[in-house]
This record gives sequence, structure tokens and C-alpha cells, in this order.
Amino acid sequence: MFPFSARRVALCASLLLRFALSVVTCGTLAAGINPPVRETIAAAVTAGTPDEQREIILTLKSNPTPEAISWLNKWKEGAIFLNQDDAGSATALLLTGAPDADDSYATIKLSDGKPMLAADGSPVRINPKTVDFADTDSGLRRAMKEVADLAALADPDPEKRIRAIQDSAIGQNPDKLPALEALKRLEKNPKAQRALDESMAIIQLTSSEPAQRIEACNTLGSLRSLAARDIIKAMVSDSDAETDKETRSAANHALTEIETHIAAINAVGTAFRGLSLGSVLLVVAIGLAITFGLMGIINMAHGELIAVGAYTTYIIQNVFASGLKLSPFGVSIAIPGLNLQSGANLYFAVALPASFLAAALVGLLLERTVIRFLYRRPLESLLATWGISLVLQQLFRLIFGANNVQVNSPLWLSGNWTINDVVFGWNRVFVIVFAVAIIAVTWLVINKTPLGLLIRAVMQNRNMAACMGIRTERVNMLTFAFGCGLAGLAGAFLSQIGNVGPSLGQNYIVDAFMTVVVGGVGNILGTVISALGIGVADQTLQQYLGNPVTGKILVLGAIILFLQWRPAGLFVTRSRSLD
Amino acid sequence: MTSNPISSRIHGPILLVSAVFLVVVMPWLNSCGLIADFTLNLWGKYLCYGIMAVAIDLLWGFTGLLCLGQALFFSLGGYMMGMHLMLMIGKLGQYKSDLPDFMVFLGHTTLPGFWQAFHSFPFALAMVFLVPGLLALVFGYLAFRSRIKGVYFSILTQALTYGAALLFFRNDLLMGGNNGFTDFRTLLGSDLRIASTQRILYICTALLLVAVVAGCKWLTNSRFGLIQRAIRDSENRVLFSGYATANFKLFIFVTSAMIAATAGALYVPQVGIINPSEMTPEKSLEAVVWVALGGRGSLYGPVLGAVSVNALKSWASRAYPDLWLIILGGSFVLVVMFMPNGIIGIPAQFAAWAARRRNRDATTAAAPANRVTDP
Repeated sequence: MFPFSARRVALCASLLLRFALSVVTCGTLAAGINPPVRETIAAAVTAGTPDEQREIILTLKSNPTPEAISWLNKWKEGAIFLNQDDAGSATALLLTGAPDADDSYATIKLSDGKPMLAADGSPVRINPKTVDFADTDSGLRRAMKEVADLAALADPDPEKRIRAIQDSAIGQNPDKLPALEALKRLEKNPKAQRALDESMAIIQLTSSEPAQRIEACNTLGSLRSLAARDIIKAMVSDSDAETDKETRSAANHALTEIETHIAAINAVGTAFRGLSLGSVLLVVAIGLAITFGLMGIINMAHGELIAVGAYTTYIIQNVFASGLKLSPFGVSIAIPGLNLQSGANLYFAVALPASFLAAALVGLLLERTVIRFLYRRPLESLLATWGISLVLQQLFRLIFGANNVQVNSPLWLSGNWTINDVVFGWNRVFVIVFAVAIIAVTWLVINKTPLGLLIRAVMQNRNMAACMGIRTERVNMLTFAFGCGLAGLAGAFLSQIGNVGPSLGQNYIVDAFMTVVVGGVGNILGTVISALGIGVADQTLQQYLGNPVTGKILVLGAIILFLQWRPAGLFVTRSRSLD
Repeated sequence: MTSNPISSRIHGPILLVSAVFLVVVMPWLNSCGLIADFTLNLWGKYLCYGIMAVAIDLLWGFTGLLCLGQALFFSLGGYMMGMHLMLMIGKLGQYKSDLPDFMVFLGHTTLPGFWQAFHSFPFALAMVFLVPGLLALVFGYLAFRSRIKGVYFSILTQALTYGAALLFFRNDLLMGGNNGFTDFRTLLGSDLRIASTQRILYICTALLLVAVVAGCKWLTNSRFGLIQRAIRDSENRVLFSGYATANFKLFIFVTSAMIAATAGALYVPQVGIINPSEMTPEKSLEAVVWVALGGRGSLYGPVLGAVSVNALKSWASRAYPDLWLIILGGSFVLVVMFMPNGIIGIPAQFAAWAARRRNRDATTAAAPANRVTDP
């Protein structure tokens, strides 16, 4: 889902820009527009032959303004119409105003923006369905693209300019060199300068002079150009006599440099993805580290408590928007919506505490009704909670439907930083930050609050704690609810990066248990280290095997072997008691 | 759960009668046309599950090892039998090729080496025992050597099953991937689609069930069974008395895996399909439910549980498809909480309750009853 949201934003931006441009060009006719451009376009539209049309369009290359591009776009989209008068001369027209009864529009002339008048002086109205719009053919469109490319090179927005510079290298067309050289003399932005060097060098790789080719290879090597990799690779493997020895050795050298750089990028990227996957595991397992690790309850319904958190997030999102209609067991419930303007970005702040509370409440209920009878029978708590997990899954299906529900991420989660060719997605960064925050909170609660002191006392020696007057029943209840609340937080968090459906929890439950077992039961630091270790190992194997499932199977095998070496996990709670 | 709920004087004859009913009377009624072929086939499936449940009980009820990987051994046995059955289809498949259809579909032209030997039925039968047995041996050796027990053993077997299911879902394992094996034709020359073959398969299943129950009965009543129960109740004391508990557990684990695998091998020709969804951890947990519901620690309880839960499932998933999982999960919670000895333990539980009540009535005036806080 990551690329989609990024792409969506880019699309929105470009649409907005286009809209703004069209408003400027159509709406304010008097506001300082350059008449010659309009006239040139009008002349091009009405010119007799396609060749003439192209000639006229190509004259725009000397002054590729955004306005010219927007007119050309209108032409391509079919928004310019041709009006033949009785003498057979054509005029380029634009539609304006609202359609009348027979779908006709008032018209203005493209060349000067004045209303088009017929020979008798009455305004001309045309119906776009019956009148031909100005057509384009592939030659014309290519000429338009040449102009548009030049315009993009002069775009004031550095990012767009850089993209245009990078695109100009595609096809290695030497005709583009002069424009790039001209731009290089003016360019101030260091990133754009780098892109210019890169694009020019890529184009120069086709140069007929060997010295220039070698120079280009060296430049590309020192720039560690990713874009040039395939081209240089083709040069190296191409055993034609055409490429002389020296060029080939320079190309070889450049290729090694680029590939070393790619290996470094991949290593950093893998480590980063591993860290974020580890953080996901950590967030999912931290609640389990408390209910299973500290209390010794095998809660197979942990995954469903995660789903409770995720569905709570879903409900909160809809409450902030336009409300929600549910119909469990044939009873229809309508939850009213607040219709908040900025709800899409704000709801998550409310959803976090809400999902914690919802899952904690469900946990409290479970503890009071089922789990408290099974503290001494861990294997049976496993079975009973599995039964609960079946019931909860089916309840989700009955209430929210068997399909996944749609939870939108806030806008601030889509986007990324690119540092030295390594992409750091914001949602992955968010994952890591969230995990750190949750660990910090858990650590503080366990180690620095009175409740934490009681929890530790009861978990270490229940009978002794009871003798000291601690209400162990109550502590059990609160600890379990806290662990379940953390599962709810994990659910709110997973709803941002994955699908929310009835079997959401099932996908994570085996991993979560493995994480806690590997970390060493009863030790939160162990859980942290094992989650990050499993995450990085998983991503590294995936990178080398190119297959997520094999990687996962190998990780499971490695965990089983690891437990041979340390049967009680990474951190062993030392105790003299035997069972 | 250690005490025999019904005295052996009564349950001996009951067992004998039910064995005769399952092995002789049901097939006879079927051949007379009084029981539909479909019903007999369904019962064959239930009894396969029953055998698997006995295997779980041997491990869990008698040795205290809750294995969440029994479905893995069950379906491994099924896969071994399935490989033989796939090769027996011959050129009758959709692609009219000597290769199984899914291999033709994946673009293979020759039979992979490890498939060759499965042309022979005795070899396939040997593999039904050997493959799950070896897997259990290696895994059990590793697990028991490092003294992994209790819930850790459960979680590890769950992970093993999960990993194996992921592996079998892959096409490049050449075991049919997602769809598994299906469309079987013949076994040992007899057509699997006619009623008499299915009846013979049913009789084999029923006989195997009786044999497994009798064998386990003998084993658990022997000196070996005594040590087995001692390990369940206090492994450390057994260890300190000089027994190598790991070896005992390993033996039971491998035996139990092989029993489950045999059940799987009989299950496949009767049901006609085997795919990786049979070997997920959920299936293992479901089988554990049968044992818990029927009553663990007694060998016929699990059979009762397997048959009754599956019969309930056949009915409820048609009558109340939406509520079936809630019924199953809910009844499971209730059984774990209120009937620790399952269906088979109800009479004993009732007797104990009655006895307590009598006691209380007798001592009401004398002293306040000692409330048992922990059930």
C-alpha cells in the first residue's frame, strides 16, 4: 500500500497544478498574458498541413513558458474547436460559459480571447458534440512533448526540474545536450546539478569520440549513478569491436563502483526494513510478553484482542467521518458521525487510547469470567482461550462482515525521505518510533509505578505477595488487562500498515509467541532483542533468497535450533525452584 | 483424570460391543442397504479422526505433552498415500499423461526422483510410517534433549506445523501446492469410486481403530505406562529416580506420530483429497478439542469426542453456518472450565459431587464446610 499513497499524492499535486493553470489561463484573460503565444498556437491549430503545424509548434522551443504548455495540453485533450466560415478559412475557438438548452456553448477566439462573431455580427455558439475539435497526430504530439520537456527543464519547482533532467537522459538523444548544457550554467541547486552531470554523462556514453566516452564513464562511476547501471552493463557485456579496450575498462571500473554502491544501499535498506518488521513484531508481542511472559497465561485469543484494537480504530475513523452502519444478528445499529473536516488526520490520536481501552475491557472480561479459573493449568488456558478466539473471530465476522474493512492512514504517514538513494518510508519510520514509545511506556509502568511494583511482586512469588497483604486477584486482573490493552494498541497500529479483517490476529499469533519464547519468558528486554533479531534475519533472508515464504520457513527452523542452544530463550530468569 | 470413571467390569463389555458394532454390524447394514454409502463413508472419516485423537491422548493425556503438530503427522501420512494414489491415476488424468496433472500444469516433463519409488504400494506404506516417524524422531530428539516441555513444547510444535504448512503451500515443493492431491482412481487395483472398495476401507479403519485402542490400552497398563504417567505427574522425580525420561517421551512421541500418520493414510482414499489446509496449527488444535471434549486420559474418550464433535460439525455447519464456530468455541471453553475430564468423566464428576453433598449434609451442623478455592 506504500507506493499507492505516494503515487496518489503526486497525482493530486499534478492535477491541482493543472487545474490552477487552466484557471489562470481561461479565467483571467486580461491579467498579463502573452498574446504572441496564443496567436502562435492559434496559427498552429489552423495551419494547413501537419508539417506546417509542427514547424510552428517547434518555434515555441525558444520560449517554452508554462502558458504555452497549458495551451498545447488543451489541444491534445480536444478542448480547442475549429470553426469554418463560409469562405473556408478556419478559426480556433474555445468554449466558454454554461451550455444552453441544446447543449451549445458561447465561444471565444483562441488568438485574442474575444468573442467569436459570425459574419452577421451575432455571436457564434457551437455544440461540442457536432463540431470537430482540433485533432493531433503522433508527429504533432512528439513535437508538443519536445516543447513540454524543455518547459519542464525550466520548471521553478526543483523536484520537477530534477525529474525532467533525469528523464532527458532516456533514449540517450544527443540533441538534448545543448539544452542541458545551457541549464547547467544557470543551475544553482546541488541536487539538480548532480542530475545534470549524470544525464549529460549518460548521453555522452554514445559519443563518437573515445575520450568523451571514457570521461563519461568516469563521471558516472564517481557519481555512482543508478540510472546508468543497465546502460554501462550493456556496454561491458557488448563484445562488439566498436567499443575499444580503454572505454571498456573504464566502463568496467564504473560498473564495479556502481554495484558496490547498490550493495551498500541494499544492506542499509534491508537493515531498515528488518528494523521496522522487528518493530511490528515487537509491538504485537509486547502485550504477550506481559500476559504470557510475566503471568504465564497462554492467551491464544491475543490475536483477536489485536483485532479488537484494529476494529476500534475503524469505528473511531468512521465516527470522525460520516458515521457507520452495522447489522449484527439482524439488528441494525447506526453510529452517528461527527463529519469533522480534519477528521482523516486527527482520528488516529483518539483511536490510540480508545483501542487500548476497548481491548483492555475485553481482556478484563475474559480474565474475570474464564482465565482466573485457569491460573494453575497453563495448558488448559491455552485450550480455553483458543475457544474464545474462535468465538471472537466469528463475532467479528457477524458484526463487521467477513471481508476486510477500510482503514485510511492519515496523510502524514505517506511519503518518504530519500537519503543517498536509500528510501526511508514515513510509515516504516512511524513503526519504529511507535515501538520505541510503547516499550518506553511499558518499561515505565512495570518499573516506576506502584502498580508495576505490585505486578513484579505477584509474578515473582504469588503466595509471598499474598502474605504481605497484596490483593493478588486484583493485580492479576489489572496486569492481564494491561497486556490486552497493549494488544489493542498493536491493533490500532497494524490497521495503519495492513488489512483489517476477522483473521487479522491469526496472522501474527505464531510469530508473537515465537518472539516471546526466543526472548526468554518474563523478560521485556529479551522480547525487544528477539523481535529485532527475528525481523532483521527475516528481511535479510528474504533479500538473499528473493522469496518471503522460504525466508520465513528458514527463520522458524533457525528458532527451533536456537532453542537447542538456549532452551529458556535469550535471557533466563534464574530461580532455584524446580517447576 | 487418573481414576477410572466407570469400573472396568462394565466398560469391558461396552468396548467389545461397540468394537463389534463398528467393525462388523455397520458394514453389514451398509451391504444390506440399511446404511447409506455416504453415511458409512462419513463414519470412516470420523473413525480416522478418532485414531488421531487416540494418538493425541497417548501423548497428552498419558504423558502430559500437548503437541499442536499432530495434524502435521496426520497429513504427512496422507500425503505419502496420496503420492501413490496420484501415480496410480496413470493416463486417466485430465492431461492424459503419466505425470500427475499438477506437474504437467507446472510444465514438468519427467517425474522427479523422489516420486519414482511411490509406484510401489509397499514402499508408499513404509513411507507412511517412516517420514512422519523420522520427523518426529528428529524434532523430538532436539526438543526433549534440551528439556523443552509444557507450553514451550506446544508452541514449538505449533511453529513446526505452521512452517510445514507454508512449505506445502508452495508449488516448487512438487507436492501439489495449494490444491494438494485429488481425483484418485484406484488403490491396489480396485476402483476407489465404488461402494465395496469404500466399505473395505471403512472396515480397515475400524479394525485399525480397535487395534490402536487395544494396543494403547496394553501399553498404558504396562510398567511402561506407569512411568509414562509418572512423567506426566512429576517428571523431575522420575528423572531423579534414574529414568531417562527423554527417551520415554521420544518413544511415545514417535509412536503417536506414526499412529496419526496411519490414520491420515486411511483418511485420504476415503475423503479423496489432501491439501495443506489439513496440516495447519488450527487443525491440530481442533483435534486437541476432540480429546479434551471426550475426556483425556481414557482411551475411548477421545474416540467419542472425535466422533461426536465431527457429527455435530456436519450437522451444525449446515443448520447454523454462522453460529457453528461460536458453538464449537463456546462449548470448548465450557468443557475446559467445568468438565476437566470431558464427557467420559461426567459420571465420576457427578458421583464426586453427590458424595460431597452427602458429606456436607452429614456435617452441616458440626463445622462450616471447607470451601475449595481453587478448582
